[in-house]
Amino acid sequence: MDDGVDDRDTPAEVDATFRTLRRVAVGYFAVFLAAIVGFPLLAVTLDWWSASRLVGGMSPGFLMAAFGLYAFFAVIGVAAASLSSAVEARMLGGPAPEGGPLAGEGEEP
Amino acid sequence: MRGGSQLLAATLVVVWALVHLVTQVLVDPPLGVLATVTIGVVLSTAVVLGYPSALRGPRLSRVVPQRPPDPRGVRSGLAIADAGRSMPLRSGLTPDAARRTAELIRPLLGGDAIAITDTEQVLAFVGPGADHHRVGGALQTRVSRKAIDKGRTVVVHRRDGIGCPEPGCPLETAVVAPLAIGDRVVGALKVYRVHDEPAPRVLVEDMASMLSLHLELAEMDRERHLAADARLDALRAQINPHFLFNVLNTIASKARTDPEEARQLLLRLSDFFRYAVRQDGHFAEFAQEYFFVRTYLSLEQARFGDRLRVRYDIDPQVLTTRVPVLTIQPLVENAVKHGIADKVSGGTIRLRARVDPLTRTTSIRVSDDGVGMPPEVLARLTAGERPAAGERARHGGVGLWNISQRLGSLFGDRCSLDVVSEPGEGTTVELRIPLR
Repeated sequence: MDDGVDDRDTPAEVDATFRTLRRVAVGYFAVFLAAIVGFPLLAVTLDWWSASRLVGGMSPGFLMAAFGLYAFFAVIGVAAASLSSAVEARMLGGPAPEGGPLAGEGEEP
Repeated sequence: MRGGSQLLAATLVVVWALVHLVTQVLVDPPLGVLATVTIGVVLSTAVVLGYPSALRGPRLSRVVPQRPPDPRGVRSGLAIADAGRSMPLRSGLTPDAARRTAELIRPLLGGDAIAITDTEQVLAFVGPGADHHRVGGALQTRVSRKAIDKGRTVVVHRRDGIGCPEPGCPLETAVVAPLAIGDRVVGALKVYRVHDEPAPRVLVEDMASMLSLHLELAEMDRERHLAADARLDALRAQINPHFLFNVLNTIASKARTDPEEARQLLLRLSDFFRYAVRQDGHFAEFAQEYFFVRTYLSLEQARFGDRLRVRYDIDPQVLTTRVPVLTIQPLVENAVKHGIADKVSGGTIRLRARVDPLTRTTSIRVSDDGVGMPPEVLARLTAGERPAAGERARHGGVGLWNISQRLGSLFGDRCSLDVVSEPGEGTTVELRIPLR
């Protein structure tokens, strides 16, 4: 039966990988949450955030809502996905090659 | 700065530059100082904490910066102390090191030509006469052979005393001092002049003594590396034959009842020995050592069954760090052999690995809830004493001692190996090494 899991991995190894991936997910969620909560918080507490003019007469808050958040979501999504798959590759199955996908990837907060 | 700290520092500078640009330069009105500093501190903290996994980047081989060649072959205004600190012979008596040393010390000794030889051939010759005193050629001058054979300095005031067979040789005087490692003469430093007055004998002897000291240090370095290699080889060879017998017996017993599991165990055993034999060098990625450890533990679990439970707790940031090879598995093996195997009800082995980005430390902890060890054995282990033969068999202390010695030679006092044990409660071994 092929259930997509390499049968060479023991339950303890799979459990360890799950907990490490959960740590990655929680970390990235914390960063995501901080950014989402921080945006309205800045708008409420810092007049400069919406009153000043940065580029083309747009305020930092407007620029962030129009462009910054989307870029942030893309970056954090790609980083979380690539780090998670790299962690899985290194913690399950055979030996990972040195300098593999984890090096230079991910953004574990 | 080492291990990517320069990249971290550069990133922090860029972060602060961007903060300044966005909050002070491009914007109207600029943000207040307190808010700007707060933003900068928050971003810097995020960068430092995320650095081990996000910013370490591809691992490039460390390139030793090459000194730019000097067209004149000399370095003007160089103090003797500077020459001592940067002496190329620190890496051993090689032709390249000898040439660079000769170029470095020529202006200091007041000689027109400098030669450095080993006991058989010319390793470097800088100055007039280089056309026939060829590098790689046999020692031509009688004076060199005399200094090396007698092990003392020889001063020659006349051209015929040098004994150069080349009729047109411009060298008139020479001071030849032997280079020695301990009592063993390994070469000679020769200072030639093209006029009647030889170079100051005391100066040449002092320089030869300094070069000899560097050669002695190079020899000690080489011996230290050989000792570290020997310790690693000893660890490889220390794979317990009982472990192999036990695993093979386990596989044999499962071959009839569960052939698929027997096959998996054979594959794991093959992986185990392949890793142990093929590891070159002293460091490997943690992920590879982790593979070695879990391969070992899965083999032991097949033997011990439910008596041996395992729990890994691995930080994602630690997977790409580099750790000394064959360091974690002996700790785990000790936990199995001396902690869990002697306990009837079995126990749990925990492997915990963390990275501390602020102190730039990798921390690896192996703990078990087995039988623990008596206080006197623990005291001897923590004192760093090599265990006696009988004790090695009972407590496997030689593995721990070997690891401790290897860590000491690799990291000096920048690492720690702590052992905590209570009889009946279990043992915890914690290893802290610099982040690489």
